[in-house]
Amino acid sequence: MSAIRLENLVKRYGSFTALRTMDLLIEDGEFMALLGPSGCGKSTTMNMIAGMERPSEGRILFGDRDMTGVPMGRRGVGFVFQNFAIFTHMTVRQNLSYGLRMAKLPQAETERRTLAIAEFLRLTPFLDRRADGLSVNILQRVAIGRSAVMEPAIFLLDEPLSNVDAAFRAVMRAELKQLQRQFRQTMVYVTHDQLEAMTMADRIAVMDHGVLQQVGRPIEVYNDPVNIFVATFIGAPGMNLLKGRPVQTDRGLAVDLGPLGISPPLGSAQACALRAASGEVIYGFRPEQASLAPPGEGIPGSVTFEERIGARSIVHLGEGSTAFRAVFEKDVPLAMGDVAHVLPHPDAVRLFDASTGRVLKG
Amino acid sequence: MTLSDAARRPAVSSVPRPRDEGAALGFRLTLPAQILVLFIAVFPLLMQLYLSLTDWAPLTGTAWPRAWEYWNAGANYVDLLSDRRLWDALARTGLIILICVPVQFLLGLGLALLFVDDFPGKRLAYSILIMPMMVVPAVAGYMFFMLFQSGGPINGLLGSLIGRDLAIAWLSDPVLALVAVMLADIWQWTPLMFLILLAGLVGVPADQMKAAALLGASPWQRFVTIVLPRMRPIIAIALAIRVIEIFKIFDTLYIMTGGGPGSATETISVYIYEVTTQDLVWGYVAAIGLAILIVLSVIAAFAVRRLGESRA
Repeated sequence: MSAIRLENLVKRYGSFTALRTMDLLIEDGEFMALLGPSGCGKSTTMNMIAGMERPSEGRILFGDRDMTGVPMGRRGVGFVFQNFAIFTHMTVRQNLSYGLRMAKLPQAETERRTLAIAEFLRLTPFLDRRADGLSVNILQRVAIGRSAVMEPAIFLLDEPLSNVDAAFRAVMRAELKQLQRQFRQTMVYVTHDQLEAMTMADRIAVMDHGVLQQVGRPIEVYNDPVNIFVATFIGAPGMNLLKGRPVQTDRGLAVDLGPLGISPPLGSAQACALRAASGEVIYGFRPEQASLAPPGEGIPGSVTFEERIGARSIVHLGEGSTAFRAVFEKDVPLAMGDVAHVLPHPDAVRLFDASTGRVLKG
Repeated sequence: MTLSDAARRPAVSSVPRPRDEGAALGFRLTLPAQILVLFIAVFPLLMQLYLSLTDWAPLTGTAWPRAWEYWNAGANYVDLLSDRRLWDALARTGLIILICVPVQFLLGLGLALLFVDDFPGKRLAYSILIMPMMVVPAVAGYMFFMLFQSGGPINGLLGSLIGRDLAIAWLSDPVLALVAVMLADIWQWTPLMFLILLAGLVGVPADQMKAAALLGASPWQRFVTIVLPRMRPIIAIALAIRVIEIFKIFDTLYIMTGGGPGSATETISVYIYEVTTQDLVWGYVAAIGLAILIVLSVIAAFAVRRLGESRA
């Protein structure tokens, strides 16, 4: 009913193409995050779904209704702006009830629904306060409530948490998820923060330079990135990528990493993938999916820098094109300048074609 | 002792407190400007108040500082209340305000709404629209004087529309002369209204307009619930400016009709001008002027207070 289907969506501004041929199906009741760096086209996509911008090409369907030419006021979508766009000359109550009042609903119902949403978002104490004197954290909830009160089947959120403080962000992540569970809307959530995308979304659509890179469940995108952009963009820190060439060793197929020596032998799946490769490859593994190994095993690197976040530590090794990182959840006996040998877990290694950047599959 | 204590201490003990010093310096620096203001604003006002309480006139042969010789203890203000010509002029001025200001406001607002979004030729249209405002009022007066002649272009245009010759004597008919004068004012000063209101419209946050649209508000609902409340102070100022300006309407009108025919277009300014130059009773003129100043000040104060309200 309220699935969103984007078909061959293109948006051009003059000679600049903000979005090239986007095809995406967002299921009814799904929480989809559009994730990518600034300027990747995620907000453009969102604005076109909302009807604030017209696509240069392609179609937008809600269920099987073509909405491409429908003006924004008649699409019935909820939209939360990055800067909230609260009506500052009104009270919180007037903000929350705005849509209901414009639709000329009976006063009793308007009142009931306004109070209900205010209760749900813990805004009751602020109902009669003017919006321009309230803190960002409260305005954020007003912005969400103002759209949620309309009970839209489709709820669009444009980086709604980027202006609120870190502690509150964690609270809002949980509340948004709860909101969606309660009302079962189709939610599209634009963000550049992978933590938000990973924790809330059913699926993530990763975008870069106006191109949809990968769509999948958070764990899929994390485990099986389709290219080196997704591999480095997802994860904190991103995947380690080291250039090398296929090499046959007596312990099996491996990657010759040049100055870093020969990689540990590959697992069967990756060995199979490597056989399909021609020329240079990129050897990738996640910093948190590796362990320290005795000399002679693993990939060597001298420690250049160590970030400690509580028990977790991010160790930076090597320099320039051979730099990589390793994340340890427990204390490791390493000091600056030490040479460490890092052994990626065999299942965690991913190989990419060095010329196209695409993942190699067996 | 912390560093900031050390830095503060000598200042407290050896020199006067910085605030006092700043105030004294500020007074000295603004003194020339204050004297200037005293001479341009306060002195004439006091002089006017003084003369308004006398029967002094230039033909008495006495220099104005000795006007107390003609002291009449407020008789001018009593006369003013029963001056039929003055009240007629006031009523006429009020009528022009009541018609011209709403028309200029609605036209200006409508035009401003058209100019919020881009359209081809917007800059040119904008320049043409604000041009009347830049015409010297005396020139505009002559222009409309010519246009409204009975053999003039306006009759020509109307005649060609209805298909027969017209010879309406616009400026010598009591009602039509007033209409002509008001049309001239609307032509010349709608652009100012347009300009001020456009500035206000552009200041309405686009995000809030989009948010309202997404919540299903129709264009009219958006205008009433978002645009108007935000523009209230600007509207108050625009209206106050035009009310005050029309209250003083003179140059264009005087050239077009001279206040006539008879006294059909005699506004308050025209009346004061006549009394000043023909009757030469300057003490009385001063009293009228002061009374009007008070009325206008009340209007201005009202507008300023509205501005303050919406900021609160």
